[in-house]
Amino acid sequence: MDFQTCLIVDDSRIIRKVARRIVEGLGFEVAEAADGAEALTYCMGVMPHVVLLDWQMPVMDGLSFLRRLRDLPGGRAPKVLFCTVETRADRIAEALSAGADDYVMKPFDGEILHSKLAEVGAVQSPS
Amino acid sequence: MTPEDFDRLQTLLASRAGFRLTRDRMHLAEHRLGPVARREGYHNVEAMLSSLWSQPVASLGWSVIEALLNGETWFRRDRAVFDVFSRELMPALTAARPGGKVRLWSAGASTGQEAYSLAIAALENSADVEIVATDLSRLSIEKAHSGLYTSFEIQRGLSARTMLRWFEQADEQWRARPELRSAIRFERANLLDEPTDDGRFDVIFCRNVLSDLEPAHRARVLERLERQLVDDGCLFLGVDERPEGDSIAFRPVAGRKGLYVKAPSALRRAA
Repeated sequence: MDFQTCLIVDDSRIIRKVARRIVEGLGFEVAEAADGAEALTYCMGVMPHVVLLDWQMPVMDGLSFLRRLRDLPGGRAPKVLFCTVETRADRIAEALSAGADDYVMKPFDGEILHSKLAEVGAVQSPS
Repeated sequence: MTPEDFDRLQTLLASRAGFRLTRDRMHLAEHRLGPVARREGYHNVEAMLSSLWSQPVASLGWSVIEALLNGETWFRRDRAVFDVFSRELMPALTAARPGGKVRLWSAGASTGQEAYSLAIAALENSADVEIVATDLSRLSIEKAHSGLYTSFEIQRGLSARTMLRWFEQADEQWRARPELRSAIRFERANLLDEPTDDGRFDVIFCRNVLSDLEPAHRARVLERLERQLVDDGCLFLGVDERPEGDSIAFRPVAGRKGLYVKAPSALRRAA
């Protein structure tokens, strides 16, 4: 079976490292981007299966990236999970209506990420 | 904490709660008892325990017991179970009880995530349900009753859409909406006690409870569950739990992990 790829988009190298360790543990191949513009460039080359997406980032923020991604050919396929410190209900609703599949509030851990990825059908359910 | 302290804790948990405190939980026990000792005004865990052994006080004993129970739970734990409940059982039960309430029991409800997951499934099915959620731990059942969960807890098992639909933001936490909370009655209760007049239930969820019980108590709990389940009712155990060694009252349903119905022998006895 081909590896599933997960693109981690976050301007914090630490967060990318933490998230990478978790999703690699779930069997994903990982790519990283430090902002929305980098992430968009990556997606125009090859669509990842899953995108973990920060909201506040320099150059292009997560929401702008998401809207542009969904307009790309094949851009509706990736499962996009916001992973952000933004926890207000109205912002969460805004992200979902912009096309996010699910939403993770920071801080998160492996169990949360695993259950969220299972919820969108990207991995098997944790037992 | 000395090995003797741990031996006595094991005896305390076994006799009062039927709970099997395994030796591999010794460090965990020490870690969990620290806050109890501070709350109760002792210098450290050793001081608290030596006071408890020399002069047993029921309230302190219960605080210690509650801290050592296994309250691990999350929303929609073992997703397949909730899918079976929501897509298969709930529609069938609603059809079988026209005009009547479907009665559910979350036995060993801990901090309530299971009961709320059931309430969500029922309300999304537009079913009329009455859910009773019980747990041995007063602290857990109080938290369950409050319906308040941290960001950490709320997103373990719930999608953001479900969270927004059924919970509202309360400062840094998330609170179950009133329609969800009013579907559930929370009570502190010990499964080892004789049942009160809670009547019988259509579905009982007693998941990941038996495996933490002293083996000697499992048969008694299963017998009680059997008595409180209607004859055509369903019992969910934890997906790795098996009643076979302890009771012949239930038989597994093929292809549905953790799901049991009454065995013919139990039905004959009831008739």
